[in-house]
Amino acid sequence: MTEMLKVTVDRRHPMAVIYTEGYINNQGGEEIARVAYDLIDEDHKVLLLNLQGTKIVNSIGISILIEIIEKMLEIDGKLAFCNLTPTIEKTFHIMGLAQYAKIFPDEGVALGELAG
Amino acid sequence: MSPPSAPLARKLSWEDVLGAAERREGERAYLVRLLQMLCQTQGFKAAALYSQSSECFDRQVVWGSEAFPASIEGGGSAGFESLELPEGRLLFAPAEGDWRRPKGAVVLALASGLRAAVLRQRLKEQSFAVNYRGVELESLYDVGLAIASMLNLEQLGEEILLRAVSLLDARRGALYLRSAGRLVLDHTLGGDARPEMPLDDPQVAEVLGPGLGKDQDLLPGARYLMAVPVGAEPNSRGILLVADKESRSGVGPFPDPDRRTLALFANQAATALETAYLHRQALEKERLEREIELAADIQRRLLPTTFPVVENFDLAGWSRPARHVGGDFYDLMRTREGRIGAVLADVSGKGLPAALMVSTIHSALRLLVEQEEIGPELVRLLNRHISASTAPNKFITLLLAELDPASSEVRFVNAGHNPGVVIRSDGDVREMGSGGLPLGLFAESSYEAGRLHLEAGDLLCIYSDGLTECESPTDEEFGLPRLVDLLRSTTDRSLSEVIRTVDSAVTDFAQGLNQGDDQTLVLIRRTA
Repeated sequence: MTEMLKVTVDRRHPMAVIYTEGYINNQGGEEIARVAYDLIDEDHKVLLLNLQGTKIVNSIGISILIEIIEKMLEIDGKLAFCNLTPTIEKTFHIMGLAQYAKIFPDEGVALGELAG
Repeated sequence: MSPPSAPLARKLSWEDVLGAAERREGERAYLVRLLQMLCQTQGFKAAALYSQSSECFDRQVVWGSEAFPASIEGGGSAGFESLELPEGRLLFAPAEGDWRRPKGAVVLALASGLRAAVLRQRLKEQSFAVNYRGVELESLYDVGLAIASMLNLEQLGEEILLRAVSLLDARRGALYLRSAGRLVLDHTLGGDARPEMPLDDPQVAEVLGPGLGKDQDLLPGARYLMAVPVGAEPNSRGILLVADKESRSGVGPFPDPDRRTLALFANQAATALETAYLHRQALEKERLEREIELAADIQRRLLPTTFPVVENFDLAGWSRPARHVGGDFYDLMRTREGRIGAVLADVSGKGLPAALMVSTIHSALRLLVEQEEIGPELVRLLNRHISASTAPNKFITLLLAELDPASSEVRFVNAGHNPGVVIRSDGDVREMGSGGLPLGLFAESSYEAGRLHLEAGDLLCIYSDGLTECESPTDEEFGLPRLVDLLRSTTDRSLSEVIRTVDSAVTDFAQGLNQGDDQTLVLIRRTA
């Protein structure tokens, strides 16, 4: 079952896709933030978080994701999500993340729209 | 935390600072410019603004190249000069030479800007808390809908645990379900968990109570545990365990309201689990019914669908099991030298166990008939085989007969079965008495054969007790005399018609009562 979060990155400058696998909690969220800020420093302006391997997120993880969204807004960048479970998608809508970050059903659709 | 800002070369004016706010460069940029202005007017190399949180001060913005720490303890200043502000603290590094303590309009603007930032942050946190309360309520509501409609027990257990851990911001969790008087680990999240434990394990009582010490081994390494029963005690489905409440600064114990939230969640989870269990049972029942139907089909194939055609004789057989599958078996077959074998066996008990024994005797008899003459030796061998392959409390009664059509002689062995009867053309009845014990009781039983001669018009009848012991609503048995009378009254009909008549008579006699036992009939009539 889900253990510590694993994060991998596919760089497609100026876009990057961040893949997560596991629990987005305090530790998992911090790891995503670390990777996201590194990508920002590398001048990636569009980040896509593919949560296909994540079934669970808690409030601490959400607060860190909000910080990343704020950071992206500060640099006039974009953060988007794809492959969310219905539960996580619903949570993101309630928490307001969907107002500032687009949610796509899958990576193909997301890359198509974000590149356009 | 914001990274240190690079110093600007040009000296800032109030227009520059206020312009940042007007151009909506953001609160942070406004504060950075104020710090810059402060440093330039007061002769500082660098400065940092900290906001006060519950236990420490967190760095908000920096100007200059000094390495200000991300947070400082309540009374600390990390070696820098400091100035207390209403919602925080200002740290600064004076340049060499003269410098003045910060004061005046810039400090006032910094203090008000910091206060605005702190208030905005609090508002954001409160808004977050309100929104997350919505998530909690939605989760509780969803449990009643989403997981209640989830009928796969494996998926349901995982979903329950994921939602509980997420709902309570736990770092770890485990779901234990009752099985055979123990609590067995169904799912775990975030680390190892003890695989199983007895229901009365002291740690179970402790974890369901006020708390469990750090030396527990339910979730090795977890520091703060909380558990609730899944459903009402004493018949709960198991326990739901969460551990280590997360915050941005680490993990801690769960506050009291979390226990109530988890208990509410667990009650809904119990209902969902109950639904899933019932669904699994229904599926299992359906599968068993399909298997029984298949067994019934196999058993039907054991019974003859056609009967040997023999000059001057009419042969027929019929069987109706009390359940899908039965414990009666009959056969009519050609044996050596043009003879005809007839057998009726009745296995003790009913249903699938009896059907399995029917299968055993069918195959054994078919093999033995090819090797042995029908008679006491064949039945002795059959008894040994049955004794070796069945449970001690199971037995089979059997009446095995062989007709020689050329001589009209019948040789028979009765192994504890109801005596068959021969109804003579003049109405007299002769019983085919016992020749030994039922098969399967004693491996070394021996058997004797009986003989009789069929005259034209004589009817040989072998039947199972399910037929003669069939009961009416007034507890009266159909009985052998009624069967014999029926057979006597149908001498002018073909045997297939006779069987339909018997079937109809027994059915009418029972008047809709459930058939208590398998009913089987084998008939041989000498026609000329």
